[in-house]
Amino acid sequence: MPEDKENQQDNCLECKKKKAARWREDFPVNWESDNYVTRREMVKYLALGSLTIAGANAVVAALPHIIQSSEMPKTRIALASSISVGESKLFSYPTEEDPCILVRQNNGDLVAYSQVCTHLSCAVVHNEQENALFCPCHHGYFTVAEGRPFAGPPTRPLPRIKLEQQGNEIFAVGVEIS
Amino acid sequence: MSTRQRQGTTLFTALLVLVGIGVVVQLWLLTASVDAFMRHQGSTALHAALASAVVFVINGLLVLYVFNFDRKINQDR
Repeated sequence: MPEDKENQQDNCLECKKKKAARWREDFPVNWESDNYVTRREMVKYLALGSLTIAGANAVVAALPHIIQSSEMPKTRIALASSISVGESKLFSYPTEEDPCILVRQNNGDLVAYSQVCTHLSCAVVHNEQENALFCPCHHGYFTVAEGRPFAGPPTRPLPRIKLEQQGNEIFAVGVEIS
Repeated sequence: MSTRQRQGTTLFTALLVLVGIGVVVQLWLLTASVDAFMRHQGSTALHAALASAVVFVINGLLVLYVFNFDRKINQDR
């Protein structure tokens, strides 16, 4: 009796297979040919990929120019006569959350930079004795003339604030990231 | 398979490899340019974009050349 049951089950499995086969005949799906990619198609896809990557590269190259060309506010930051040689003044630009530093160099020229150190974002201060912008957190030094790092861990220069002088008033008009 | 057809097959395989290498180089250039962008080094990104465009032009010319070759073989048949 148990053998008969097993035979019946086997028969049923065969029936199922036959049904499946019939279904496959009615709706044939040829997976092999569907997933087959010819060399010609492959080359076409690669060429399209090449175009896409070249486009992405162009976008990445154009991004700094797009960002810089967006209009920055013109903000009055100080009176020229209030800062003597070797002195510095703190201000915020372009928003209240962007601390900056204005320094009058030994030659009388005014320069301004973002006060955020390019290493780990501590606030840089003016060191008059060494004529440098100094980051007290990790002893990073930047030149006053160009904002370039010359000692310590920072590797990138400080973003420079573009200045404009009208009479005795000094205005910040933009940020220059080099 | 004629000699010309065999040439075509070899050419197509070689082209596939060359274009593949070009795409890998472009991916490397894209990585380098994104890195340069994050470091605010605009000139590097510009050079990488130019190099990537040159690689794309080379890839495009190779593909066009082989497709033309293929067309000629089909016309000869």
